[in-house]
Amino acid sequence: MVYPFLWLLSASLMTVREFISVPPKLVPDVPQWGNYTAVLQRVPFFRYLLNSLVVATSISLLVAFTSALGGYVFAKMDFTGKKTLFRFILATMMFPNFLFLIPNFFLLTRIGWVDTYLALIMPFAVSGYGIFLLRQFIMNIPSELIECARIDGASQFRIFVQIIIPLSLPAMATLVLLTFVAQWNNFLWPMIITSFTPSLTTIPVGIAKLNLSFGSLANQHLVLAGMVIQVLPVILLFLFLQRYYVKGIVMTGFGGI
Amino acid sequence: MTRKGKENLTAYLFLSPILLFFAVFFCFAVGFSILVSFKNWNMLDSPVSVPFVGLRNYVGLFTDPLFRAGLVNTIVFALAVTFTSITLALFVAIALYKLKGSAIWRFIFFAPMITPAVAVGKIWTYLYNPSYGVVNHVLGWFNIPARAWLSDPTLTLPSIMIVAIWSGLGVPMLIFTAGLDSIPTSYYDAARIDGSSKVRTFFSITLPLLKPTTLFLLVTGMINAWQTFDLIYIMGGAAPAASTQLVSIFMYNTAFSYMQMGKALAASVVLFVISLFTTLLALRSFRKGGMESYYA
Repeated sequence: MVYPFLWLLSASLMTVREFISVPPKLVPDVPQWGNYTAVLQRVPFFRYLLNSLVVATSISLLVAFTSALGGYVFAKMDFTGKKTLFRFILATMMFPNFLFLIPNFFLLTRIGWVDTYLALIMPFAVSGYGIFLLRQFIMNIPSELIECARIDGASQFRIFVQIIIPLSLPAMATLVLLTFVAQWNNFLWPMIITSFTPSLTTIPVGIAKLNLSFGSLANQHLVLAGMVIQVLPVILLFLFLQRYYVKGIVMTGFGGI
Repeated sequence: MTRKGKENLTAYLFLSPILLFFAVFFCFAVGFSILVSFKNWNMLDSPVSVPFVGLRNYVGLFTDPLFRAGLVNTIVFALAVTFTSITLALFVAIALYKLKGSAIWRFIFFAPMITPAVAVGKIWTYLYNPSYGVVNHVLGWFNIPARAWLSDPTLTLPSIMIVAIWSGLGVPMLIFTAGLDSIPTSYYDAARIDGSSKVRTFFSITLPLLKPTTLFLLVTGMINAWQTFDLIYIMGGAAPAASTQLVSIFMYNTAFSYMQMGKALAASVVLFVISLFTTLLALRSFRKGGMESYYA
């Protein structure tokens, strides 16, 4: 199970000759730390990192907020059309992403967002999965708390900001983590939407392009160094926060966004 | 205003950003896809002014051998990957259930899943390399001849399936573990007192009680598997196109390489119909008790 990761780490520190040697070498004779500086110098890797960070963070925070909003409404309010709307939101999770690629690409080019971060962020700002997760969580918040606040004269908006959000923070943290990892790894949409604006390239797209920009086999080991830089942050994030991740999955029965 | 009327107003006010989002990025997109899939559109013209061509895009799809290969591959890929990973995940979950250090095990099985598919695909492309890859080298110890895992048309799709299974074990394993937690230990005590064997206990207690979980995992796993793209996009390049074609890859190429948007939209609608069929199965599995509580 873990071998491919160990291989990646070890191979990213090899020279080309060691990398393509037969039989395959397990560890490099001398670790080539220069591979890392080389990849950072030869492609705008910091730019990729920054783009991914901006996009994944914005989406995570937006999703956490909109999910808490929707989760609160569906958990604690009673209104006409509630059941139908909730089923609709659950149903949106079942639609294949491929149905949205072309229309959204068309829409975002027409409104002129394509060369901005908005094109990478907005199509993911709301998540049916997130609303579902927060609803499950907020249902367990005692309704008496909300009633008391209402009797004291608090508006619904104040109740949401001062009671629901603070109490939902554990579930929101789980959702932020799940969304961040999913968006950090998201490939298809960023690849399509950044095809005309290389300056917005995110890491997965950058990694996929590394092969093209380096071409020959002579630079394959640099591709591996780039991959370590991409993979390491999420692995570390997960290592420290895995219980939040696990909680989200167990709470909803869904693994992804 | 009545209390009910006021509550309606607040609820819809709160929901307005969400409903706006779904109107723009969901309802518009679904309507657009279905409508324009009956038109001959190339992305440059206005989709409104181009003429309807009836079923021509759909006829074009089903007479295209590449698309038909893609459809068959997609179904084979989705069924094989989903069933295998769920079966494996069940056994892994049971094997690790009472084991110490479960957090470490969980991490090991989860790591591939949180690793970007692009990176997973690249790593395995190197491991599968016919001349310097580790896979052939290890098989060589057992005198199994070297093969071209990612360019031989009969081997490529199965090779990629193995990677998909490897990277997708984490979630089903975890959900099975949660399912095992919910089985009362008294059932197992009773079985032990009655002298039931381990195998018998598995088939008469564990498996039936995990049935809703299993069904649910099958359906959600399948919905994900229909959409597989990244792994094939990264790993499938060296093999003949027909052998690794999926509906998703076909749709992507038709749209963004050949600009035949009408035909590509038709392909995405076909994928949608397949998913919808799975969703109906899903709703049945919800009703059968797996997710009943969520609807309350």
